[in-house]
Amino acid sequence: MNLHPVAWLTWVSVMAIITMVARNPLYTLILLTATLLVSYGQSRLDEGHKLPLLQIAVAVLVFSAIYNALFVHFGQTVLFRLPSWPLIGGPLTLEALTDGLRNGLVLITLLAVFAALNVLVRVGDLVRLVPAGLQDLGVVVLIALTYVPQTRRHLQQIREAQAIRGHELRGLRDWRPVLIPLLIGGLERAMRIAEVMVARGFGTTVSVEARWLERVGTVMALTTTLLGWLLLLWIENIGWFMLFVGFGALGILLWKRGRSAQRTRYRQMPWGWPETVTVLLSVIALLIVVLPVPFIGQTSLSYSPYPRLSVPQFDPWMGALLASLALPAFLANEVTTSGERVHR
Amino acid sequence: MIHIADLNYRYPGRTRSALRSVSLDVEAGEFVLIAGPSGAGKSTLLRCLNGLVPHFSGGLFGGMVEVNGVSAVHDGPSRLSKLVGFVFQSPETQAVLDTVEAEVAFGLENAGVPQQQMRLRVDEVLNLLELADVRDRKLTSLSGGERQRVAIAAALALRPRVLALDEPTSQLDPQAAESVLESLRRLNEELGLTILLVEQRLERVVRHADRLVFMEAGTITVDGPLRQALSRISPAYQPPLAKLGSELGIDPVPITVKDGLRELMFDGRAAKATAPQPRTNGRRHEILLQAKNIGFSYGGRAVLHGVNLEVRAGETVVVVGRNGAGKSTLARCLVGLLAPGQGKVYIEGRSTHGRRVAEICRDVAYLPQSPDDLLFAESVSEELTITLDNHGLMPEQVNPGPAELLKALGLEEVVDRYPRDLSVGQRQRVALGSVIVHGPKLLILDEPTRGLDYVVKQRLVDLLARWKEAGKGTLLVTHDVELAAEVADRVTVLSDGRVLASGVPAEVLRASSLFTPQIARMFPQTNWLTVGDVLAELEEDRSDGSVSVLRMASEVERP
Repeated sequence: MNLHPVAWLTWVSVMAIITMVARNPLYTLILLTATLLVSYGQSRLDEGHKLPLLQIAVAVLVFSAIYNALFVHFGQTVLFRLPSWPLIGGPLTLEALTDGLRNGLVLITLLAVFAALNVLVRVGDLVRLVPAGLQDLGVVVLIALTYVPQTRRHLQQIREAQAIRGHELRGLRDWRPVLIPLLIGGLERAMRIAEVMVARGFGTTVSVEARWLERVGTVMALTTTLLGWLLLLWIENIGWFMLFVGFGALGILLWKRGRSAQRTRYRQMPWGWPETVTVLLSVIALLIVVLPVPFIGQTSLSYSPYPRLSVPQFDPWMGALLASLALPAFLANEVTTSGERVHR
Repeated sequence: MIHIADLNYRYPGRTRSALRSVSLDVEAGEFVLIAGPSGAGKSTLLRCLNGLVPHFSGGLFGGMVEVNGVSAVHDGPSRLSKLVGFVFQSPETQAVLDTVEAEVAFGLENAGVPQQQMRLRVDEVLNLLELADVRDRKLTSLSGGERQRVAIAAALALRPRVLALDEPTSQLDPQAAESVLESLRRLNEELGLTILLVEQRLERVVRHADRLVFMEAGTITVDGPLRQALSRISPAYQPPLAKLGSELGIDPVPITVKDGLRELMFDGRAAKATAPQPRTNGRRHEILLQAKNIGFSYGGRAVLHGVNLEVRAGETVVVVGRNGAGKSTLARCLVGLLAPGQGKVYIEGRSTHGRRVAEICRDVAYLPQSPDDLLFAESVSEELTITLDNHGLMPEQVNPGPAELLKALGLEEVVDRYPRDLSVGQRQRVALGSVIVHGPKLLILDEPTRGLDYVVKQRLVDLLARWKEAGKGTLLVTHDVELAAEVADRVTVLSDGRVLASGVPAEVLRASSLFTPQIARMFPQTNWLTVGDVLAELEEDRSDGSVSVLRMASEVERP
C-alpha cells in the first residue's frame, strides 16, 4: 500500500515548484536527495519501473555545463579563450561552467520528481480520481491504457509473422501487410473486450437517464463557458464572470450526476494522518518559500555565480525545511509496515 | 435452472443459421459438457444464456431462453450478467483491467455493490480459486492457468447461479488445464454451481462432467449422461480412450483409464517383447537443422540454457513442454526472430548468424502461434503469390506450384475467398500455405493444433505425414501430448529452458507422467501411444493367428 494519490500529487507539485523557484544549488541538492529517498523507498515496495536515472543525470550535467560555458561568456574567472569562432568564440569562464552545472542540477531534480510521480502513483489510481459523474469515462480510459501495451505486442507479432514470409519493411507501401492485420486484430480485440464487459454487467446498472432539466442545463452551462471565454477578449470582467458561472454550473451538474450513478469503487483509498502530514508539510514549505516569512533566509534562495564565483549562502532553517520534505518516504513506509491499510 | 426451447438463430449478414431448433433443459447443479466440431454453434448457444446473443450480436432470433426464470430475450445481459458468469477462451483477451483484484472487482463495481461487501466477496472468490497469494499482482505476470482462474473468479464474484465457459483450457498446458478443471469441479460439487463448458477436444474434460451435449451444424445431435452420450458420437470426435473403446465395440465407451482397465484385459504372455523402435527407417538422412548449445535471456532472466537439437530430412521432431518452458522462444531463435545469446543455429549446414529473417525463411517455413497475423491479402491465392513475390520467385519456379499446393491443403474450393472469412482450420492451412509455398525443406510449427477440433487436427496430421514422405523435416512445438504421440519420430522435453529428455517417443513420453498420452497410461506394459498403435498390433495378431494381447473383461468372465 501507498499514500493516497492526492497526497502524492500535492507533494510532487510542491517539489516541482520549489525546485524551479530555489536557484541555490545547495538547496537543489537537498531537494534532489529528498526526492530520491522517497522514490527509492517506494520502488522497493512496488514493482515500479526504474529509469536509468544515473546515466541521464550525468549526460544532462555534462551537456548543460559545456553548453553554457560555450555560449555564455560572462564571468571574471577565465579558464581559457577560444579563437573568435562564430557563436562560441571568446573566453570560457568558470562562472558560466558553474551556472551550467547548476541549471543541469535543477533539470535533473525536476526529472527525478516526475520519475518519482511515476513510481508513487499508479496511472490507474490517477484515473480513479475523476469525479463520480465521469466514472464511466474513467473506466474507458483505464481500459485504453491496458490496450496500448497489448497493441504494441501485437504489432511486434505481426512484424515477425510477415518477416518469416520474407517480407521486409522498406517503404511506406510495405506497411500494408502489417497494418491490415493490426487494424483487424485491434478491432477484433475491441469487440471481444466489449463482449467481456457486457457479460460482466458494464454499463447496465448506470441507467441514469439524464433528465430534461439536466440536459438543457448542461448545454446552457457549456454555452456560458464558451461565451465567457470568447468575451475575455473584449470585456474582461464579464468574461471572467461568465466563465466562473459556467464552470460552476458544470461542476454542480457533474456532482448531481455522480450522486445518482450507482457504480461503486473497490479500491479504497483511505486518508489518514500520514496523508494529512504530507499535504500540510508540502503546503507549509511552499508558503514559506513563496511568501515573505521572517527569520527564514529567503534571500539565500537565489544565487548567481556571476560576476565572480562565490560559495552560495546557506540558511540552516531553510535547509531543514527543505530536508523535511523527505519525510513522506518514512510516512509511506510506516503505512506499509504497520499494515493498517492493507485490507487483508 | 436453464430452459431453452426451439431456439433458432442466425448471425446478421449470414445465410446459414447458427442454431436450428435447439431445445435443452439443464437442472441446477449439473456439469454439462457441450462438444462438437468447430462451427457447430457451441459458442453461440453459450452466448444465448446470458443474452450476448442476440443483444450484443444482433441477428435473427427465435425461440425461448430462460435462466432461473429470467428471459434472455426480454431482460438481456443487464439482468443475466448477475445470473450467468461467463468465461471466454483466451486468458489474454478477456482481461479488462490490469491487476488481479481490480479485474475481479470490476463486475461488482458495475453492479454497485457497497465497498465493504465487495471486499468480502473478492476475498471469498480469490480464496475459492486459490488466488489469494497473487491478489496484488499484475495480470501479465501470471501464468496462463492462473489468468484463466482469475477470469473464473471475476465471473464468480457476482455470485451467479450458472457458470458458462467457452473453451477455457484450450490454450493451457495439461497441468494448468487440470488446475482450472479441478477448480471447476470443486465449485460444482461444493457450491452446487451449474456449469456449462464448451470444448472441442475432450480428453482433458470428459472425466469432470456429468452430461454431454454434442452439437453438429447448429443442432443438438446427442444429449445424455456422459459415458452413454460419448458412446453415441462419431469416433472421429471421441478422445483416444473412448475411440479405442468404440473400435473394439465396448459400450459404454471408457472415459478414464480406470474404466478402461475394467473393460479390457492386457494379456502379458501373448505380448511380444518389442523394444521401442524409432519410426524412421534406419537410413541417416541429411541434417536440415542443427541447434548447438542455444542460450537466450529476456531482460536478464535466462529462458533457454544450452539447448541442443537436430532435425533430419524426413523426420518429425516434437518439442513438448509446459507453457513458459521456452518452447516458442526456442522456435523463434531457430528462425532468427530472436538472436540467441549463445550457441549457433545451422540450417542446411549454414549458420544463421548475421542473416536476415527474411533470408533465413527461404530455407525454413515457420508457422507462428497465431496464424491470423500472417493473413492480409484479398484472396487465398494472393496470400501465396505475395510470399513468392517477397522471395523474388515466380509461380512457375516452384514445385509444387501454388495451385497444386492449395489442392494439397484442401483449399481448392476457397481459392478466391477472403482469407479472414474462412474457418479456423482453413485459415491455418492458408497461413501454412503462405509460409511453405516457396518450397523450403524444413518446417517449424508453433502450437499448430490450438483451437482445432479432432477432424481438422487429423487433416493437419495427414498433411504432415505426406510432407514427411516427401523428405521434408518438421519441428513441432506443442503441449498437445496426443499430437506428439501421433506424429513424432523423436521427442524432446523442454522444461525451464533445459532439455530434460530426448529420444524415441515411446520412451520419452512414458518417462514423464506429465506428458504421457492416454493410451500409454492405459497400457504401461507396451510401447503403444495411440489408438492406431493398438489397432495395428491387434490386426497383426489376428492375421498371424496368435493369441490377441487384448481381451474384453466380458470374454474372460464367460468360462
